[in-house]
Amino acid sequence: MAETLKRVLSRGGAAWSREENTPAAGPPLLLLGAPGSGKTTLLFAAALEAAGEGQGPVLFLTRRPFQSLPRGTGTALDPMRLQKIRFQYPSSTRELFWLLCSAHEAPGPAPSLLLLDGLEEYLAEDPEPQKAAYLTALLLDTAAHFSHRLGLGRDCGLMVALQTQEADSGDILHLSLLRRYFPAQCWLQPDAPGPGEHGLRACLEPGGLGPRTEWWVTFRSDGEMMIAPWPTQTGDPSSGKGSSSAGQL
Amino acid sequence: MAVVLPAVVEQLLSEMAAAVQESAQIPDEYLLSLKFLFGSSATQALDLVDRQSITLISSPSGRRVYQVLGSSGKTYTCLASCHYCSCPAFAFSVLRKSDSILCKHLLAVYLSQVMRTCQQLSVSDKQLTDILLMEKKQEP
Repeated sequence: MAETLKRVLSRGGAAWSREENTPAAGPPLLLLGAPGSGKTTLLFAAALEAAGEGQGPVLFLTRRPFQSLPRGTGTALDPMRLQKIRFQYPSSTRELFWLLCSAHEAPGPAPSLLLLDGLEEYLAEDPEPQKAAYLTALLLDTAAHFSHRLGLGRDCGLMVALQTQEADSGDILHLSLLRRYFPAQCWLQPDAPGPGEHGLRACLEPGGLGPRTEWWVTFRSDGEMMIAPWPTQTGDPSSGKGSSSAGQL
Repeated sequence: MAVVLPAVVEQLLSEMAAAVQESAQIPDEYLLSLKFLFGSSATQALDLVDRQSITLISSPSGRRVYQVLGSSGKTYTCLASCHYCSCPAFAFSVLRKSDSILCKHLLAVYLSQVMRTCQQLSVSDKQLTDILLMEKKQEP
């Protein structure tokens, strides 16, 4: 999943051009950030990206239906891609467990990407660490099963969003547990490249497969997410939508 | 495998798999390496393998789960795809304290894969769902 997210962020929301070859999803990724940091928007963007790759449907799990679709990252929503995203709304941890445990019984083609928004709400219902570990492990096991069904060396990616609250030390226990299971992480933290500017720094750690990469994320007044490569040391931020992800480090 | 074992463990297991193919038992040098890496868990895991305590449960969907009959008589569920075991030692030593890489049950599962010796059980898709759900309901 890290690779899919990296493609989304690198393109900065530019036209959804087809990849020339079969892109890999990358390792399971944990997306972390405070409320309002754009996790759902990024998850949704990753869903659209994967849906456009023609690999199979995308399964998007979230507790509540969207009141309105996330504004996306700069381009119009493609209805063909939207059709390939299957939304399911497990309203409790119990329902989520059931959904994951019975995933192998579900008919139809296996998804190429499994997304979960709001893991913290499901973990909060039963904070016992072993249950948290089992839920996390089941997410990975479900994605592994989908990969097996996809066959032919194809993988089902996994991307999970977790809301963080800095003051809540209870999160720390689950965080170390989750980082054990998710080799790749993307942090969304309030930051800005220069004085007087605002926004978020998206920091993608791909889990040993490459260097850390960073982007500058801001939101327009209509809620649309703007992404640019994090400025280099010269302090010269790229304007608008960055299309190149060359060497942030 | 989404979550990978440390490289040295991966290498040891794959070398053992190759060696076992030739001689049908684990050469001493690998037993020593196992003890070095895993301490007493290595002996306990090998014991579990010898006693045929590992069962691979699969369903027509292709999804699989392992169950290990522990020395206490209790059965633990292991997910090999991502290193999870329902035993208290896993929750404590591996997850909480990061003292160990694997518990003896997970190590036994990997050893049984290497040695290609474990019980096999086929169940229906629905039964596999129930087995996975049972794990969630069990008291710690």
